[in-house]
Amino acid sequence: MAEKLVPVVCPWCSVGCRFYAVSVNGYIRKIEFDYDHPTVNRGKLCPKGVASYQFINSSKRLKKPLKRVGERGEGKFEEISWDEAYRIIAEKIKEIKETYGPEAIAFLGSEKITLEENYLVHKLSKAIGTNHLDFPGRYCQYSNAPARTKVFGSAPATNPFEDVAKAELIVIWGHNPAETAPVFFGQYIEKAVLDNGAEMVVIDPRATRGHKYASIHLKPYPGTDLAIALAMLNVVISEELYDREFVQERTVGFEELKESVKDYTPEWAEKISGVPAEDIRKVARLIATKRTALLVNEGLNQHVNGFEFALALANLIAITGNIGKEGVWSGVFPGAQCGFCAAMSGIAPNKLPTGKLVTDEAARAELERLWGFKIPDWVGLDLTSMIREIGNTIKMMYIVGGNIAKSAPNSKWVQEQLKKLDFLVVQDIFLTETAKYADIVLPAAAWFEKTGTAISAERRVQRTYKAAEAPGEAKPDWLILVELAKELGLGEYFKYEHPDEILREINSVIPVFKGATPEYLAEHPEGCFFPCTEPGEGTKILFKKGFKTADGKAHLQPVKWREPPEMPDEEYPLWLTNFRQVGHWHTGTMSFESPSLKKRWPEEYVMINPKDAEKYGIKSGDLVKVETKRGSVLVRAEVTEHVREGVIAMPWHWNVNVLTLEETHEITKMAELKAVAARVSKVEE
Amino acid sequence: MSKKIFLDYKRCIGCKACEVACEMAHGEARIRVFEFPDLFTVPFNCRHCEKAPCLNVCPTGALFRDKDGAVAFDPLKCIGCLMCAVACPFGVPKLDEENKIMDKCDLCADRRAEGLLPACVSACPTEALKFGDVNEILWNREGKVVANLKSSAEKGEGEKAYVIL
Repeated sequence: MAEKLVPVVCPWCSVGCRFYAVSVNGYIRKIEFDYDHPTVNRGKLCPKGVASYQFINSSKRLKKPLKRVGERGEGKFEEISWDEAYRIIAEKIKEIKETYGPEAIAFLGSEKITLEENYLVHKLSKAIGTNHLDFPGRYCQYSNAPARTKVFGSAPATNPFEDVAKAELIVIWGHNPAETAPVFFGQYIEKAVLDNGAEMVVIDPRATRGHKYASIHLKPYPGTDLAIALAMLNVVISEELYDREFVQERTVGFEELKESVKDYTPEWAEKISGVPAEDIRKVARLIATKRTALLVNEGLNQHVNGFEFALALANLIAITGNIGKEGVWSGVFPGAQCGFCAAMSGIAPNKLPTGKLVTDEAARAELERLWGFKIPDWVGLDLTSMIREIGNTIKMMYIVGGNIAKSAPNSKWVQEQLKKLDFLVVQDIFLTETAKYADIVLPAAAWFEKTGTAISAERRVQRTYKAAEAPGEAKPDWLILVELAKELGLGEYFKYEHPDEILREINSVIPVFKGATPEYLAEHPEGCFFPCTEPGEGTKILFKKGFKTADGKAHLQPVKWREPPEMPDEEYPLWLTNFRQVGHWHTGTMSFESPSLKKRWPEEYVMINPKDAEKYGIKSGDLVKVETKRGSVLVRAEVTEHVREGVIAMPWHWNVNVLTLEETHEITKMAELKAVAARVSKVEE
Repeated sequence: MSKKIFLDYKRCIGCKACEVACEMAHGEARIRVFEFPDLFTVPFNCRHCEKAPCLNVCPTGALFRDKDGAVAFDPLKCIGCLMCAVACPFGVPKLDEENKIMDKCDLCADRRAEGLLPACVSACPTEALKFGDVNEILWNREGKVVANLKSSAEKGEGEKAYVIL
């Protein structure tokens, strides 16, 4: 019995925890904690991490390629061979290209597959001739990332996690790290608060797990955080608490910003958000006077007004000088281990993997030289627009590892749209809700069954290694893409035998990963921080001197109040928001297949404040119907003080997207996933 | 002095990593996180009592004290009489329904034999669980209190002194 300790990166959130998979003859027997290396998790793991290999052993894993025999969505398939699957897909791609042109085909990359694999999805889509390329991360960081890019020229986290532990003030705004990233919470946030005496502020309509450490808890209505951020800008500017020197030397646009927020007093914000004006003042003063780690996540991102909210926060970070030094933290915090793998390989309708825009002729020419084929020059469709265009201009979709039939807002509508496709290919490890609509389903190897690169929320680029054999005929995503490319006659551009070869190409194509070579990452399990231009020369703290904007200064943006697209009214009097649970991940495709997790976090429920519950005659454990204009779900009620009055909250891993709204922001295309009008009523059993 | 698992309850966020880690190691979780309505959470495992009633009443000698002081367990000797469950004031020993023998925390005897920490302690992301000698852990806590009082006194901030538990 050959027992091997294989170093792996955890497949769930983006903290980037490392551990060892103890592998015996191609099976993972157990895990072992890795305390030896200077890892981000210092050997620690959350429940998902400890149970992380259970799902790969599920009997529901896809083992052979499948061809649909029943109706779309029915989930009836017959097994076919890989050769036949490739042949059908290639023929269909050629047919659709000839009939409608390549712009009828859309590709989705994934935050669940490696950097190398996302890069290949991107390369294949461009080789086929389409820029309709996106990934489900569209519903993740796409408010904060574009806003930070506008202000600072770059979105990722400015500092390593260790700086969070050095901060004087931790602001957790629309983020629940104690549940979404427990290791980050325990190893960095708790250390800051309990050991280093930092103060903590929580801004959330719910009492999240970590809020017991907070000295102040603001509870705005969902979707109204923008009002608070505007009021904070107003306070910092009108009380002249901003960092004068920083504003003068390192920013432009301060006067316009000042003008834009002059009417947004805390009293005005109190009326909108329900948060006492004095508390807003107190927190604004703290942020302005202390070294602040500002931790935001989906509570900021998943709103149509999230872009404006993120702009306001980026302004606040800039004028208070909480950037470009030790002991501060701000940036995007992807929900998945490889959010950055998709984003940094340019998985977006308007990007090239080099980070430049598809409309940039010189950048395109440079990439055409490197890749050897012509690249389309038009801006493609984002994910929501793709779904809208199904049945119209989009005839085919190729989805790698995404579950949009459940994760996209207004999911009933999404499912109806998927039925209208001429052809759908889904490449995944389980027969997901989305795969049930596919014509061809390709069985992929799961995390732990392949070697590749993952990038954590603190920009740490790490290698993870193959510890188990894929079941049946399942193959790593990169290999599927390479073989399909060969079938399409594009083999000359996809000559890869091993993920190392893809990473070497990435080293030469994507400048920020130039130094993250397979050799360097193999020798350094702790990885390097991108941008790493030379092996070993990562960048731990960004913006110490200049910003990534053209003139090197932070471009402060004037911001205006923007209402959420849907507000409670007489018919739907409550705000509905959602949250993540520590034991589950995304749409549960993987965590629901993990017995230890499913047992402890078994079902969805709705949190209702006791005052609201009394009004509607609901008690804990009652079956209730939660309704919005899009649809309804039946769930158990949990009457609790942990959600504010007027707000109800549901975990999002189950069916909450039946209720959410597909309306998007005009620039970021972010939909409204966290603040919609709803009503609840008790259902007699 | 024997080593035990201690809880720094202030640090616990109720994530249940300890439960899952224990379950992964033993098939069934021998530690349990209790949750209270105010988000207060307490993971609770066998205390490996100095005067262990379970061990005293075990008629077959299936329960024994190992060299590290843990109340360990020999499944081959267990007859499933439940005496240990009756005697334990904390309700720790559980019946393994399938094998009709008892099951309880042995502080991960196999891991300790390899020089590793018990699985729950290894995983705990907030370090709320600590494995060590009782006096060492308590002295450490006391030391923190003293250090805090001292530094506050030096800074003339007597009123700001607080107790870290």
